[in-house]
Amino acid sequence: MTFDAGQREELRRKFAQFAESRDPKLRDELIEAHLGLAEYLARRFSNRGEPLDDLVQVASVGLLKAVDRFDPERAVEFSTYATHTIVGELKRHFRDKGWAVRAPRRMQELYLRLGKIVSSLSQELGRSPTIPELAAEAQVSEEEVLEALEAGQAYRFASLDAPSPGDEDGDSMGSHLGQEDAGMVDAEHRAALSPLIAKLPPREQTILHLRFFDGLTQSEIASRLGISQMHVSRLLARSLAQLRAAAEE
Amino acid sequence: MPTQEEVRLVVPATPEFLRLARVTATGLASRLGFSYDDVEDLRLAIDELCFALIGSKGKEGTVSLRYAMPEGALEIEGAARFAGSAPGDPAPVLSELSKQILGALVDDYDVFVANGGEPSFRLRKARPEER
Repeated sequence: MTFDAGQREELRRKFAQFAESRDPKLRDELIEAHLGLAEYLARRFSNRGEPLDDLVQVASVGLLKAVDRFDPERAVEFSTYATHTIVGELKRHFRDKGWAVRAPRRMQELYLRLGKIVSSLSQELGRSPTIPELAAEAQVSEEEVLEALEAGQAYRFASLDAPSPGDEDGDSMGSHLGQEDAGMVDAEHRAALSPLIAKLPPREQTILHLRFFDGLTQSEIASRLGISQMHVSRLLARSLAQLRAAAEE
Repeated sequence: MPTQEEVRLVVPATPEFLRLARVTATGLASRLGFSYDDVEDLRLAIDELCFALIGSKGKEGTVSLRYAMPEGALEIEGAARFAGSAPGDPAPVLSELSKQILGALVDDYDVFVANGGEPSFRLRKARPEER
């Protein structure tokens, strides 16, 4: 994104004013003027398995920090300073999600492919497949299967809008929410054990209950709820991480 | 000479390195013929126990893991060593919910303080046919 000389001068003036007044209205204007930069930078990270909308959010947080911290007295353009802050925020976002930045795209693709294979093999065999069986079906090594499942860890925490591996193409997790649910169990029972569980979305409460209280396996839960097993895995991992974080607060 | 099937791993006590603890476990589980269901459960159990030692954000220090495979089962022991920790530090605590979760994921587990004072855990998961 580029500004003409007049716009640049105007922005410089606003930054100088904002440094003095900390006026929230000026702050909003400065943020808005640079949203294009945040979006541009978010796009550069968009091939790493995370929805662009989420990344734009993260980049905007970085932009906000940059506007608040920028010192117009220093001999550096705001865009240079902000780029550094925003990219830092995006990298931290990926780092916090595990090793997603280093998980090669090939592994993320294999993870998605494995989701479908787990579903079809489970059906064919009438039981949960072993890792060698998955590897043979996907025509990759066992190590690659394990690596992909681990790479999927980052993907597990992705937005509700991301497609769910192994589910119908284009079907997103959001469309499963709010449906009438045969597996729905008494909310009070769960709440008694932990008020933290009650804060999870209803579907995740149900899955948690079926797995940890009723003792169903992940594949049994998947077929009962009509979603893929990887989806169940991913929701369980995310719920447990949320419960752990909430328990520490 | 009989080989003892044992693997040891020492990782920094931070969340991003727990990945290696999981990959090692799932690699060995795969070798033992565990199903995808069991592998995914194992992954959850390791996170639950490791995070009980190091907290959700991690600490300065290390977690030492020992993996053994007696009779088709996978046994994992983990011990944390933190900067500034001392003998007599309290044992890690599992919430009632964590116990319920772990009970469903593995055949046996425990958290305790090792002789050297390290907060520790152990878990055991057998192949389905051995259960």
